[in-house]
Amino acid sequence: MPPIIHADRCTHCGMCATICPMNIFKHEKGQTPKVAYPEECWHCNACVLDCPAHAVELRLPLNYMVLHVDADTLHA
Amino acid sequence: MIPVSKTIDADVVIVGGGIGGAMAAIAASESGAKRVVVLEKCHVKRSGSGATGNDHFSCYIPEVHGDDVEPVLTALMNSLVGQAKDVELMRLHLLESFDIVKKWEEWGINMRPLGRWNFQGHALPGKPRAFLKFDGRKQKAVLAEQMKKHGVTVLNHHPVVELAKENGRVCGALAIDASTPDPSFVLVSAPCVILSTGLTHRLYVNGTTPNYLFNTAHCPNNAGGQALGWRIGASMVNMEIPYTHAGTKYLQRAGKATWIGVYRYPDGKPLGPFVTKPDPEYGDVTSDIWNSAFLDVMHNGRGPAYLDCSENTPETLAYMRKAMFDEGLSALIAYMDAKGIDPARHAVEFTRFEPILHGRGLDVDKNGQTTVPGLYAAGDMVGNAGCGLGLAAWMGWRAGHAAAADAANSTGSADLASNPAIKAKMELLSSFMSRNIGAEWQEANIALTQIMSDYANVGPYNVRSETLLKAGLGYLAQLREETNASMKASCSHTLMRAAEVLDLFDCAECIMRSALERKETRGNHKRSDYTFTNPLLADKMLDVTRKDDGSVVTSWRNMKH
Repeated sequence: MPPIIHADRCTHCGMCATICPMNIFKHEKGQTPKVAYPEECWHCNACVLDCPAHAVELRLPLNYMVLHVDADTLHA
Repeated sequence: MIPVSKTIDADVVIVGGGIGGAMAAIAASESGAKRVVVLEKCHVKRSGSGATGNDHFSCYIPEVHGDDVEPVLTALMNSLVGQAKDVELMRLHLLESFDIVKKWEEWGINMRPLGRWNFQGHALPGKPRAFLKFDGRKQKAVLAEQMKKHGVTVLNHHPVVELAKENGRVCGALAIDASTPDPSFVLVSAPCVILSTGLTHRLYVNGTTPNYLFNTAHCPNNAGGQALGWRIGASMVNMEIPYTHAGTKYLQRAGKATWIGVYRYPDGKPLGPFVTKPDPEYGDVTSDIWNSAFLDVMHNGRGPAYLDCSENTPETLAYMRKAMFDEGLSALIAYMDAKGIDPARHAVEFTRFEPILHGRGLDVDKNGQTTVPGLYAAGDMVGNAGCGLGLAAWMGWRAGHAAAADAANSTGSADLASNPAIKAKMELLSSFMSRNIGAEWQEANIALTQIMSDYANVGPYNVRSETLLKAGLGYLAQLREETNASMKASCSHTLMRAAEVLDLFDCAECIMRSALERKETRGNHKRSDYTFTNPLLADKMLDVTRKDDGSVVTSWRNMKH
């Protein structure tokens, strides 16, 4: 479940925890925030957009797959 | 007992720092209210459904549309957002919205990404377009900055869990300080409260990922405005008329009109009669007009339905991609890029999502005043007007000015901690924190979605009836009793979610009581025991109100034109 924080890039600023619209992180000063409630992520991407170190990415679960087909099949 | 960490005296309290709440706060300050306090569940820079953007603002600009607002109003009322609304409010919104647009531009929000006033999407071919395309990526940061400039006190991570009323008037609010793991209570006394908490999700089994509660098209962080209003005795309207959104399957995300394409059957035939090739100006309005389209094609076996953007020019596809960022769809774009899903080559399946409360809720006048003195509401949680972000901004602005004037002649509670509703909520939430063994909030939330999906579900493939709704109300009462007696919370976060579930219970009760009273079929409110649509109710709205003694009364009023 999203998000993933890359500890090697995280500067421990806590921005992701501060601004998350769902309050899913836990952060203690000087440490990489923890994704405490991953199942409550709304995949809004705010943490990715606001991380000054670009240390956050989302991994959407398999069951959120976006169903699609080759558009050419509709034009046959 | 959870301790009280702060008591605050304010002139105007705003519940929710989204688009409507932020505009209300700025307006109240401009109108002279000295102590304006925003209680925000998360953080005003990124909270609510507009957290990362929006790209369409409903508005009327005479230099674009001409001197007559009526054709634009008609177009808006004919769209999905216009159903069952007070025309009077929607007209006023359009007439005054350009002033808000100009204000936003002055504050630094890019309202003309193409250098001109550009109206696109959600429109019938040949008809006026009411949605101004803009770049909303920085909207929350800009509004947060404006609140700061106006001296507004913002308390982030402070969800509001109860309102207080004295002598028939609202007089304060109870919040949880959730900024630390150990919760405390914050009491805010004020003569005026403005509710602006957005839409309500998590009432029904999720339409694309059952029991994944947070895969929703808009922000699922239920901030409880409809429930707060219901409990304090404000009249609610349109709660029984279901609203459903649509979009990509299985990943839910709002913003379907940002896509520029044609809805097609698997054989390539368009679903609707409006476009056969992608049209950037009007979009494909089929799913606005034919709300159950994506479900119908699955039920009749002709589906699935795809949105096909592949016939756009490279320039239009590049424009659409940029607009998707403006709309706040960066996570969807990142996912599609990573998976190699390219709108130039792939058609994406669309589906209808589960019912939510959007444009269902408090009955307000043109200033956002509810039926409870001192209590105002703005945005998606208002029941008799609705148009997403544009309406939230406009109504928040009006409500803020009106509340500031109202507050000048009134006072808040002198002893909020002794108010019976506040006291009872403090005791109940404290009991959750004192319990080591008990029910998790998720159990209660999922149980609620089961009851709503079985006993108050929506058309066209599910029905409501007197026996179903009465059974649902009975089961809800059982669930509420068991939840109150057994739910536990271990920190401020889980306590916040537990309080949300209590709010969802109230929303569910209001929906079912309203649905019982509407003895007809209308839209997706499909009654198996009243299968017809009653023409005598076409121009009426159903108000449902909880009295102080807990009884519920209903009344019909004429729509305001």
